[in-house]
Amino acid sequence: MVRLITHNLLACHAKNCTSNNFPLQFKDIEIELREAEFNPDFIRGFLPKLEWKALIDAAKQLGDTSLPSEQPEMIDDEFLKNLHHVLLEIHIEEGAMICPNCQHVYPISNGIPNMLLAEHEIG
Amino acid sequence: MCIHLYHHTLPHCYRCQSYLFCTFMAPPKAVTATSIDTSDPQTYEDQHVHSVYDQIAPHFSSTRYKPWPIIAQFLSSIPTGWIGLDSGTGNGKYLPLPLDRPGSIWTIGLDRSRNLLSIAQNAGGVAREVIWGDVLDNPWRHGVFDYAISIATIHHLATPVRRKAAVKSLLKSIDPSHGRALIYVWAIEQDTLSKRAVPTGEDDNGTDGQDVFVPWVLASQTSKTNSKQEHTEETDKPKESQVFNRYYHMFTRGELRSLVENAARDIGLHIGKEVSGARGVEIIQDGWERSNYYVEIRRWSTE
Repeated sequence: MVRLITHNLLACHAKNCTSNNFPLQFKDIEIELREAEFNPDFIRGFLPKLEWKALIDAAKQLGDTSLPSEQPEMIDDEFLKNLHHVLLEIHIEEGAMICPNCQHVYPISNGIPNMLLAEHEIG
Repeated sequence: MCIHLYHHTLPHCYRCQSYLFCTFMAPPKAVTATSIDTSDPQTYEDQHVHSVYDQIAPHFSSTRYKPWPIIAQFLSSIPTGWIGLDSGTGNGKYLPLPLDRPGSIWTIGLDRSRNLLSIAQNAGGVAREVIWGDVLDNPWRHGVFDYAISIATIHHLATPVRRKAAVKSLLKSIDPSHGRALIYVWAIEQDTLSKRAVPTGEDDNGTDGQDVFVPWVLASQTSKTNSKQEHTEETDKPKESQVFNRYYHMFTRGELRSLVENAARDIGLHIGKEVSGARGVEIIQDGWERSNYYVEIRRWSTE
C-alpha cells in the first residue's frame, strides 16, 4: 500500500539526487478509503517523526483538509482521529510519485510503489 | 525464514518442525555447493534469488507463518509509536507483530519479489505498508526508522561487498541516536540433524562461509495455486515436480558480527558502548539460533 504514513518517509534515491528530493509528488492517482483500527498511542508516538508540511500538502492533494497547517500544541482526540484517518485510511492504489528535483517517476500499481532504480540510476 | 531441508525418513521437516508440506514434496534434494560469477552479481541474484521467489511465492508463503522467538522478542521490546523497516520482508510474516499490541508500532515491508509483496500487503488479514525495492538502496529520509529487521535476506547477496552494502543501508535507515536493528542469516553450523545436508567444500575454511544452492521443490499436483496451469495440461497425467535452486551464502561463526562491524566503520561509526562526542553502534547481542546467526545492534550519538 501507499498511504501517507509511508509517503512521509519516502525520498528519491536516484544517483546524485540528494537535495529537494522530498516529498515525492503524486500524479494521476486513484485512491480508496478503507477503515483502519484507531490506535491513539501509536499516532501520538509517531507524531514527532512526521514532516508536517509534507503531510498537509499531500493530504490536500488527496482532498483532505481536516488537519491544521501547523502542528497544534494541544493534542486532543479529535486531532488524533483526523491524523489517523489521513495517515492510515487513504490508500493510493494506482498512479505515480514524482521526484520534485530530478523528476524520476516511481509508479504505484495495485497499491505497491515501485522504488527500484535502473542500473544506471543507482548512486 | 527457514529453509526446508526435508528428509523423508524423518517424521517432520527438521528446519521448520512441520511435516505438512514435506509430504507434498518430491524426494529430497541435497544442498549443493556452488561458486558464483562475481563479475555480475546483480544478474546472478536476479536469476538465482529474485526470479525464484517470484515463481515459488504462494507455496513458499504457505510454509512461512511461524515467527522465530528471538525476532518476536525483539519486536515485543519495541516501544509503542515507533516505526520500522522489514528489509526483505518476504510474505510479511513479521509485519503483524507484536500480536499482543496490534497497531502499536508500524513495520513497513520491503522486498525485491513483487509476488511475495502481493501476499505481504495483507499479512495477518490487515492492510500492510509494503515497498517494492532493493535492500541495497535507501529510498527513505535517512535515519527515519526507529528500528529495522533483516531476516534471512542478506545471505542471498552474492558477494561480500554487496552483503556489507546491505548492512550499511540498514544502519543508515535507522535513527542515529536510538535506532535498533536485528539481522538474521543462515549459518554453516547447522543443528545436529541438518548437518548432513550441508556440503563441506574447499571454501569451507571456517572464515569465509560457503556459497550453496538450496533447492525448492514445487510439486505441481498438490499446489492449488497452480490449478489453472494444470487444467491446460493433459488432465490425468501427473506433471513433473519443478526444482528451483536458490542461491545462499551460509555464514560461518563470527562472520556476521564482523560484517556488521566493518559496515559500521565504513560509515564512520564507533563500535561499542557510548563515548563522548561521537556516533556509534553497540552490539546488544549476537548468537546462533536454530541454524542461524543473529546480531542485534543499537545506534547511539553523543554529538
